[in-house]
Amino acid sequence: MATKTQLESKSVFNFEQCLKCSICTVYCPVVAVNPTYPGPKQAGPDGERYRLKGDIFFDENLKKCLNCKRCEVACPSNVNVGDIIQAARIQYSTHKPGLRDRILASTDFVGTMANRFAPIVNMTLAWGLTKSVMHGTLGVDKHRTFPAYSSKRFETWFKREAQAKQAQYSKQVSYFHGCYVNYNFPKLGQDFVKIMNAVGYGVQLLEKERCCGVAKIANGLYDQARKHANINTSSIRKAVKEEGRPVLTTSSTCTFTLRDEYSHLLGVDNTDVRDSITLATRFLYQLIEKGEIKLAFRPDYKRRIAYHSACHMERMGWIIYSTELLKMIPGIDFVMLESMCCGIAGTYGFKKENYPTSQKIGAPLFKQIKEAGVDCVATDCETCKWQIEMSTGVPVENPISIIADALDVEKTIALNS
Amino acid sequence: MKFNTIIIGGGLAGLTAGLALLKAGQKVALVSDGQSALHFASDSFDLLGYDAQGQAVTNPLEAIAGLDATHPYSKVADVAGTAAQAQQLLAEAGVKTTGEAKANHYRLTPIGVVKPTWLTVDDFVTLDKPDTTPWKKVVVANIIGYLDFPTKFIVAGLRKLGVEVALKGFTTPELTEARKSPSEMRATNISHVLTDPAVIADVARQLSEISAGFDAVLLPAVISMKDDANAKLLKQQVKTPLYYVATLPPSIPGVRTQTLLRNRFIAQGGIFLTGDQATGGKIEGDTLKSITTAKLTDAELEADNFVLATGSFMAHGLMANYEKVYEPIMDLDVDYTGAHKDWSEYGVFNAQPYMQFGVATDAQLHVKKGGKVIKNCYAAGAILSGNNRVKMADGAGVDMLTALQAVKNILKK
Repeated sequence: MATKTQLESKSVFNFEQCLKCSICTVYCPVVAVNPTYPGPKQAGPDGERYRLKGDIFFDENLKKCLNCKRCEVACPSNVNVGDIIQAARIQYSTHKPGLRDRILASTDFVGTMANRFAPIVNMTLAWGLTKSVMHGTLGVDKHRTFPAYSSKRFETWFKREAQAKQAQYSKQVSYFHGCYVNYNFPKLGQDFVKIMNAVGYGVQLLEKERCCGVAKIANGLYDQARKHANINTSSIRKAVKEEGRPVLTTSSTCTFTLRDEYSHLLGVDNTDVRDSITLATRFLYQLIEKGEIKLAFRPDYKRRIAYHSACHMERMGWIIYSTELLKMIPGIDFVMLESMCCGIAGTYGFKKENYPTSQKIGAPLFKQIKEAGVDCVATDCETCKWQIEMSTGVPVENPISIIADALDVEKTIALNS
Repeated sequence: MKFNTIIIGGGLAGLTAGLALLKAGQKVALVSDGQSALHFASDSFDLLGYDAQGQAVTNPLEAIAGLDATHPYSKVADVAGTAAQAQQLLAEAGVKTTGEAKANHYRLTPIGVVKPTWLTVDDFVTLDKPDTTPWKKVVVANIIGYLDFPTKFIVAGLRKLGVEVALKGFTTPELTEARKSPSEMRATNISHVLTDPAVIADVARQLSEISAGFDAVLLPAVISMKDDANAKLLKQQVKTPLYYVATLPPSIPGVRTQTLLRNRFIAQGGIFLTGDQATGGKIEGDTLKSITTAKLTDAELEADNFVLATGSFMAHGLMANYEKVYEPIMDLDVDYTGAHKDWSEYGVFNAQPYMQFGVATDAQLHVKKGGKVIKNCYAAGAILSGNNRVKMADGAGVDMLTALQAVKNILKK
């Protein structure tokens, strides 16, 4: 170690790579609107130096970090600023998550309950009275529009309508659908199955799927998050190692959590399967590039679409896959929005103490979108979708849904058989 | 993924090359590993401030003609024409500047020193001569609590030029709120507060009041991070002529330049791979076929030509250990001399030998590996060897002019 450290002039602590250049603070969406947040440089590498001396140096203000990782993308010295901040919260925070935090974090439990009574739940959540009560008692902000719950879960639809047909395909993938597809918006999962089947791939569910855990990490429920991470990772391992199927997703944040946050923050080792977890747009783009599949699009599909770079998508460096795939659709007039955080950050923006910060962060993005004059916004993140739709009125779709919509299914099937 | 040209490096050199290639109709991708040194830049772009003897240069074009053949400018065919092209390219992106290549003007640094320069962003302090100002008395106005603007140095520097200077502080409730996090009251965060027209109007009113009867009011550059609209708006509303002065980093004019160049690159159809790192290159014979990156793990980025604009040591374009100086992506040939002890001089302000280190290139800016020229890979900017940009004040000029020359060499083929 000593020789290596000497030769590479590198410390074993990642925070020592920080040159104190402060570029991260320029791109932190929180510090720009909320001066009570210490900022990524102080909360991350600077604070870490103190925290190593003793936990009295931990500052609960670190919970104001969105975990957007834009500091890491901006850092010229490869400091994992966001990871340092989140790891410090996990290690030192004494804050106990309250009822509101537990409800917001339990996307799968709440989803299961809400699906059963979806019409009533959706109607009730839309009432001003419900919103006021939730604002006052729970601390869920009354200005928020709640994502609607579907009355039929994606898994139920898949098992009844799609599963039996999947065996006919010689090539197979596994699908980590995530809570949003399962409870709120099964159509995205259906769109995914439609595209995969059209290009000759069968789709299978994982043996067991739990919420990826991103909301639990954000709300301080680390043990629960770790439990989910272990279940998901072993299901993924089974799909990859035993069944030889890559695991595809349609949510950028789920993907990022499954690949990177499990090992960086929760200590769940996934190195043997990490490379097999991939976003559907990336998988499709790579197959097209290798000449293994072809997509045919409807000539009558015409739309002006703006792409919004979700924070975790940017951190993964995979925006190019979604944008280049969308640009293949001849009828799309493509607009690239300047990359900036929408402000929702999962459950963050739902909390009444964060609502004003959340909307202030998103304001420049909303302005860009309103001025772009587009039919819809494309983004790979579901919580960005809620935030942008609520704040701009412009519909937001996942690139997979846009491709499914523009796809000439018959022709695509013919091209790939 | 296949492109006409791939650029490695998203700073001034990389973006300059990218914009020029897009203009020529090429399909271009740019790999950028973290934000660039423009964030520490001043309000000015230098072409050549000092000659090899350390004398201040008045006519950069004449002085460049007298530089050694090892200086990167020796590889730029038409310095005057390329310099004009660079200024034009900045203007097209929204970075409006004053200045010309045949006559340096002078800028006021954040520590109150006057230095020769080529181009200065509009509305910043410029002086025609190094020892006089057009003003008899000025106000230096600073926001209370803002610490990245060493006012005493600025005041002392201006008084040395024979100007009567008054130092005044001001604030607004919104700026006081931004002071809650003292370590984060930086120029870029203040600029977020100064996007609200009502706050700008309040600041303008206060600046007009405190500068009544003065010839000019000088304000640290804490406004207009994305474009120059708010800076212009404030200037229009202040009754006394207002000029901005660059601050310690992060630099508002620097971030603005970076943002405007990058946004134009994307708007013109360039693919900007943010936060990704080039990790290696596949070289066959005398040709670089493709590069790999940290994030696009199973994709190879192929191109007909490549521009290496990864910067010097601070940007990790060059790296050093106790044994050698090396180029980390492809282990290209590097110009450097001596052993570790010879690379630096005692005294931080002395000319440091390592400042001259950089990748070896031929007359067409082609890089080399194992002594052999790679015919489709060009180096541009701070990664080049042969100049000390701190001592010669030639950094921005070398970045932009070698980038434009590399593009000309690519397009000529």
